[in-house]
Amino acid sequence: MGGEEAGAIDTVDHGMKFWEKQANALRNTLTSHKVLRLDELRRAAEDLGPRYYELEYFQRTTEALRNVLLEKNFFTEKELAEKIAAIRQRSA
Amino acid sequence: MPKKSPQSASARPSAYTPAPDRRFNPGDRVRVKNTYPPGHRRTPWYIRGKPGIIERVCGAFPNPEELAYGFSGEPKRVLYRVRFVMRDVWPDYQGAAHDLIEVEIFEHWLDPA
Amino acid sequence: MSHDHRHPPAHGRDHEAGLPSEHEILSRAMQELLEEKGVITAEQVRRRMEQFDEDFPYRGARVIAHAWADPEFRKRLLADGKAACAEFGIDLEADRLIAVENTAEVHNVVVCTLCSCYPRALLGMPPTWYKSENYRKRVVRDPRGVLKEFGTVLPDQVTVRVHDSNADMRYVVVPMRPRGTEGWSEERLAGLLTRDALVGVTIPGTNQ
Repeated sequence: MGGEEAGAIDTVDHGMKFWEKQANALRNTLTSHKVLRLDELRRAAEDLGPRYYELEYFQRTTEALRNVLLEKNFFTEKELAEKIAAIRQRSA
Repeated sequence: MPKKSPQSASARPSAYTPAPDRRFNPGDRVRVKNTYPPGHRRTPWYIRGKPGIIERVCGAFPNPEELAYGFSGEPKRVLYRVRFVMRDVWPDYQGAAHDLIEVEIFEHWLDPA
Repeated sequence: MSHDHRHPPAHGRDHEAGLPSEHEILSRAMQELLEEKGVITAEQVRRRMEQFDEDFPYRGARVIAHAWADPEFRKRLLADGKAACAEFGIDLEADRLIAVENTAEVHNVVVCTLCSCYPRALLGMPPTWYKSENYRKRVVRDPRGVLKEFGTVLPDQVTVRVHDSNADMRYVVVPMRPRGTEGWSEERLAGLLTRDALVGVTIPGTNQ
């Protein structure tokens, strides 16, 4: 990453949406309670491959978190899919 | 040069941890290993193979390369701040000759220069 | 500094318009599952959000203003950032803070090229530009060019010193105290210390 060619910097801070603040707090709660390590989340983000550059920061950290939580069996893919469907219905 | 306080049972917080078995000291000339092993590494690509000087000893910390995969990261590895001259890192560096970049490098990534 | 003191609802969206994005839903799903399984509580997450909104962002300016006002504290801050903050009543939690001082000869600027490491317990969340690819890619190679984009121009005789916080340490810049601030209260001094100044992309007290 460091030293690669890149364009102008958007020097304005665009802040965080509510869900991003909550996602950040979730991640922070998990690491400070030692449920998982920041290093695992970083590694999972790096392992996203080309998606790393396609996603925005919090999209990336959310996908990395999902992958580590699945790895560690905190929930199954099925449970996650069902929960996502339920939330989607609630929000419709 | 930061003063490290002795650790006690009720240790006062410090940014640093002791590293009595360290290999390098501030002022030592070192070179970052020029190797590209796969996996999670905290040594940035742009600094690999570059020559620098130990700026300070940060302490001994669990190895992030192991922590990333769920291991304990023990035994701890010594972490240093290494100072590099920008022109040594980027041959075409456009700024001043005395501009610097400082990066944290683990001992196992360093060779004496 | 006044701000709207609201408790963020546990699972609400705080007046956001439109349907939640795929990633928002994913994040909420994970949080709810973890709460249901007793791994974390909604209160823990809510409390953390509050700290990031109302506490952390205001600490850095207070610490650096105190260092400006008190030369002995400044020495201790530069010797061991975490210890000095603890002495000042600020628990930096996991952050191992190194404070680097700007002088007439040296200007410091901080980045994390590998992700976005930042002393969050001292400064709150990093600005979006700090996390951007363009900043992370360019500041280690062309710091003077990057600083110009923030309106900061440094004479050639000043050394630019970039810090890549790529491992366990975290960094804060102690800017030079501007002339004309003699006798100012610490609160007033803190008002000069923006987050951008504490990362090193701007210089307080000058017209940008």
